[in-house]
Amino acid sequence: MTSLKRSYVTDSSAPNLSSKVYVRSTRSGKVQKIVRELYLRQDIPCSSKLCSKCLSRAPTDYNNRVLPFVLSERPEGTKSAPQGHYVIPDTNAFISAMDLFEVESAFHDVIVLQTVLEEVKNRSLPLYHRLISLTKSEDKRFYVFFNEFRSETYVNREHGESINDRNDRAVRMAVKWYGEHLQEAVRMRSKSAKAPMIVMLSDDRDNLRKAKAEKLVAYSLRDYVSGLENATLLLDMITEGQEARQGKPEKSEMFYPEYYSLSKMLTGVKAGTMHQGIFNVSPYNYLEGSVHVSAFERSLLILGRENSNRAVSGDVIVVEILSKDQWKTPSTKIIEEETVNKDDNPDEEDGEAVITERERRALQEEVKRVHSKNVEGRSQPTARVVGVIKRNWRQYVGHIDRGSVKTSAKQSRAQQTVFLVPMDKRIPKIRVRTRQAGELLGKRVLVTIDSWDRDSRYPVGHFVRSLGELESKEAETEALLLEYDVQYRPFPKTVLDCLPSEGHDWKVPASVDDPGWKGRRDLRDLLVCSIDPPGCVDIDDALHARPLPNGNFEVGVHIADVSHFVKPNNAMDKEASMRGTTVYLVDKRIDMLPMLLGTDLCSLKPYVERYAFSVLWEITADADIVKSEFTKSVIRSREAFAYEQAQIRIDDKSQQDDLTKGIRTLMMLSKKLNKKRMDAGALNLASPEVRVEAESETSDPADVKVKKMLDTNSLVEEFMLLANISVARKIYEAFPQTALLRRHAAPPKTNFEELANQLQVKRGLELRTDSSKAVADSLDTCVDPSEPFFNTLIRIMATRCMMSAEYFCSGTQAYSEFRHYGLASEIYTHFTSPIRRYADLEAHRQLAAAIEYEQLDPSLHSKAKLEGICKNINVRHRNAQMAGRASVEYYVGQALKGRVCDEEGFVMKIFSNGFVVFVPKFGIESAIKLRDLAVPEPESTLDYENYILTISGSKNAKVELFQKVKVRISDVQEESTGKRKIKLGLL
Amino acid sequence: MAPAATSQVLLSPAELSFLHSSLLLQPPVRPDGRAPNQFRPLVAETDILPGANGSARICFPDGTEAIVGIKAEVEKSQWRANLSEDGAHLGTGGGDVEMEEDGGKPQEEASSHGNGEMSWIELSIEIPGFRDDDPLPIFLAAMLSEGLLAGEELKDRLWINRRFHWKLYIDILLLSPPLSYPLPLLSLTTHLALLSSRIPKLKSEQDEDPLFDDDWEASLYLYPKLPTGKRIDRPPITLLVMAVGSNIIFDPSKEELAVAEAVLAVSVRESQRRENDTSGRRLNLLSIRSVDSPSRLTPSGVPNTMNTATGGSAPVSSQDAVAQRESIDQKGVWNPPRGGVKRALITRIIKLVLEPNGVAQEVMDGLNGVEV
Repeated sequence: MTSLKRSYVTDSSAPNLSSKVYVRSTRSGKVQKIVRELYLRQDIPCSSKLCSKCLSRAPTDYNNRVLPFVLSERPEGTKSAPQGHYVIPDTNAFISAMDLFEVESAFHDVIVLQTVLEEVKNRSLPLYHRLISLTKSEDKRFYVFFNEFRSETYVNREHGESINDRNDRAVRMAVKWYGEHLQEAVRMRSKSAKAPMIVMLSDDRDNLRKAKAEKLVAYSLRDYVSGLENATLLLDMITEGQEARQGKPEKSEMFYPEYYSLSKMLTGVKAGTMHQGIFNVSPYNYLEGSVHVSAFERSLLILGRENSNRAVSGDVIVVEILSKDQWKTPSTKIIEEETVNKDDNPDEEDGEAVITERERRALQEEVKRVHSKNVEGRSQPTARVVGVIKRNWRQYVGHIDRGSVKTSAKQSRAQQTVFLVPMDKRIPKIRVRTRQAGELLGKRVLVTIDSWDRDSRYPVGHFVRSLGELESKEAETEALLLEYDVQYRPFPKTVLDCLPSEGHDWKVPASVDDPGWKGRRDLRDLLVCSIDPPGCVDIDDALHARPLPNGNFEVGVHIADVSHFVKPNNAMDKEASMRGTTVYLVDKRIDMLPMLLGTDLCSLKPYVERYAFSVLWEITADADIVKSEFTKSVIRSREAFAYEQAQIRIDDKSQQDDLTKGIRTLMMLSKKLNKKRMDAGALNLASPEVRVEAESETSDPADVKVKKMLDTNSLVEEFMLLANISVARKIYEAFPQTALLRRHAAPPKTNFEELANQLQVKRGLELRTDSSKAVADSLDTCVDPSEPFFNTLIRIMATRCMMSAEYFCSGTQAYSEFRHYGLASEIYTHFTSPIRRYADLEAHRQLAAAIEYEQLDPSLHSKAKLEGICKNINVRHRNAQMAGRASVEYYVGQALKGRVCDEEGFVMKIFSNGFVVFVPKFGIESAIKLRDLAVPEPESTLDYENYILTISGSKNAKVELFQKVKVRISDVQEESTGKRKIKLGLL
Repeated sequence: MAPAATSQVLLSPAELSFLHSSLLLQPPVRPDGRAPNQFRPLVAETDILPGANGSARICFPDGTEAIVGIKAEVEKSQWRANLSEDGAHLGTGGGDVEMEEDGGKPQEEASSHGNGEMSWIELSIEIPGFRDDDPLPIFLAAMLSEGLLAGEELKDRLWINRRFHWKLYIDILLLSPPLSYPLPLLSLTTHLALLSSRIPKLKSEQDEDPLFDDDWEASLYLYPKLPTGKRIDRPPITLLVMAVGSNIIFDPSKEELAVAEAVLAVSVRESQRRENDTSGRRLNLLSIRSVDSPSRLTPSGVPNTMNTATGGSAPVSSQDAVAQRESIDQKGVWNPPRGGVKRALITRIIKLVLEPNGVAQEVMDGLNGVEV
């Protein structure tokens, strides 16, 4: 009987076949045995430029070209290998020191084995992506060697061998093979030359030992790095890993409870006894977290360190609800980690408790307050974290806590443990071991969290790099961009390759027969102009209006035709979709598209012809739309106005040319449109907007001004809204399942409860929230005749109660959910700023397909892909906004540096040990803590029902919500941190 | 339920009579020269289907060949009344889901013992030329699963926790036409396939949704192996035994079956329940089923007294023929066997099967030689 069995490597007759067997559990609970056959080959190249044999055998692509070889002919040498060396790290090395491999100055010619790459992918997806991007970088020379597919380096798993041991063996096998292979290759070239040494890097002692036994060159990461230049700097970048922990004796005390097993959590979540959500920490109280879970309308509170159990803001966690007698109301105290745990010793771990005495006291007072007042109705369910599904740790920017540094002498290279205080107040202090504590003091530093064990009160992390001096513009700007995950590196070459080859000389083709003109309407004779903020270079939109013979008006909105230049799925499109939006900082703009497009070829600059995507309406004198039309076009803008200029031109009676008349028509129509929108219930919301005026030479901030709103601002805004709505209707009609739209959900009633109650108690005003119209109307009634700013204050506070608007794909929501609450429109999208928003670019493509100008790219047909895009751009959009705000905040701080001024402010929020004041003039908002008002800290009683804080003792005062107060604004440099902060004092 | 169509042997009454009388001799003379308790040699291999949890293939020298593949799937158990109190484990009550601390029930309760159910094993047989609702496959499947389900062990091993279990699909495929009665072939192949079956290792605890180790190497044998390589127990086997006169013949060939006076299917299992059992092995009888012998349908020979050519007189009717035959007992004329089996004979068969170093043990030893 001939055997039916598939014979694998052991059988010599079929040397090129092997298999891989594993168990796969599907989401639906199925468990499958999966068998994959592996076909082993011999033509996978070693990719060393020294080897000619591999070059001749390497597989070719369809152009009959071999991929260029990566590893250099003359790699860097070391002391033990002057002839140069290639590095083969194992999985642990990458996991524990990815930052190290990203350093520019070291780690060139690295061979990434497939075994290792796959293991990294299984262990950590973010690290995997970083590794992949390293392999793409040309000057780092990282080569992925598919050792599992090459027959010489394939290793069969032995009986009883663990997967790890097998993979380690595969790594060693590859190291051995490379060594012999290169030896041979070099000998073929010349007899005397020495082949580069192959160095294996591993943090696994067992693996190192075995490698030594096999006579391979192997180092631990630390040993290898110690031999490099800049060793101290590089050593800091290795993860605070097992090595350090192994040295310590087993500790009996565990500060935090253990996490549940994954299966237990999943079962619990499915059964509804546990809940999954994203952990959020209150910006005012680092001990109070909240998590929103789908089962409850209100967020669950997570109080104290023990309950939050090592979760860091942003993690996906699983919580268990605590029994009802432990339910609490949200905190009314400002608790900052910095001040509560000021003098912790980072080295001392033994005496450390999870909750310090001071923390306990702070919490105690909370409980007292809850008990003293019978606030049953207000108490919220609390929960405790029982496990983490996914860590969302990123790199954090912060500074070294001066108090935690023992020797700050710069020369001292002794390793010490210091605390890093992150910029983001919601992130706990991070314990970092470093040899350069002295140097890093007073600098902005980037670190990552490596782990947070049960026996450590704070997470442990390692140093990545220093951004520069605190308060220096470069460091602070980069810190901001990093904190908000803004991609700010210059565009890679692949992206720039997608630009038109003519560069700045690109012109709209003169001949109308050119393919670029196909399907385009010639609108060059229209009197088009653009109105933008002063100094705007990326002009997205332009407008025109002219009377029609029948008494109606033709109005056109012309948007830069970016989709003509950015074709779907090329490198530029991918980069843009990743960036999602242009980020505007006070002194810097981080573009979504390369400069050439954004500020020149796409920008609707005056006096030149440009491609545009036009929306044309026929509108009656009452601003009713008779018909709308969409077309690709060519326009020539007659003028680029700043808002103020346009306003002056409109107001100037002497100007009677057609262009000015057109703008006046637009103005007239926009006012009517605005009225209609307001009648429909659109909200007029406010956020504190200030502008930082910079000195032209140094771009140092000189002054802070509140932005002025002119009629021309709202002129442009009205027509952009109109265009967006028209386009949304059109693309939804054409693609009911996959139109990219924007919605603004109605906020849940509970969001307004607090504010409504405050208004009721303090001013006897009523805030009705049953519809956006009701909100808009009742906001109009919230006025204080003696205080014009009061209304704006309420609007700012109301805005914070709203949901944020989001992009979505039309197939994922019911039509009734499309509604834009703030604009009171049934349907809405973004169409008018394709230079700076990716959503608009997608809308352009969809509209172009809807008017049958071009075929729709398949990626825009796929709901799943669009959902992915929406998810990303929603996040990017929010980050860009926050980065912009943070930048303004920083510059306001810089502008006020060294100045002391007294200003009016309004109380926005009251705590039992402080209150938050908003200063309209500078748009700043800051907490005033009682501790800072007088020494010793004054006594205080908080009348929670009436929002009155009575201060007595060393200072007597009474602070009410919405009260106008005089504050003294100054800036202080905090002693412990060396950080400059705006400080408000009550006068 | 005679599997008549399977073994229609084209032998003349004279040949049948010769065969019968040689099998009646002491010791019997079998057409292929085997001893009465000697099995035909067979070739076997296991783990031939990489995608299945377990598989085996056996070829008999007469050209019959079978493949068995076993697939295990996780299935949600049906809610059972007697487990309802324990179900409170995952009730929605408050925040109390501390499973470990729940009530402190003895560990036994959560174990698999006695919780297995019949429906967790599904067995299907495919025979070329037969529909799946033909009597032969159904009858064979019933006999095989009867043996598998007779013991609790296999069912109980499929228990994962109170909410989940494995469902075992045993697919038996006869590759050749059913030349002889394929029961022993299928039974032995199933036995080997079950021996080679492995299920992923459970990682989750208690009544959680099951979570398994994704390393196949870590998976566990359905019939666990001791560190010594021995098994604590093995799946049952079903043997085919026939009797001619007082002779008991094992593993009958197609021709032998054509003259059998009684055919029995005997299911036995080897177990080693007690730790310090010095004898080491114990055989348990699981079931006996009598199979309608195909010999009853063979054409009978015509004795001289009934043959006009030899001076006899032909019977007037078929009834008359039967009546006449009853009274004749002539050597050399084939007469299909009638009537049942003597109780003493069955006892002897059981004894022969179960006795130490008996037939069953010999078969088991033979199968032990197959590498699993």
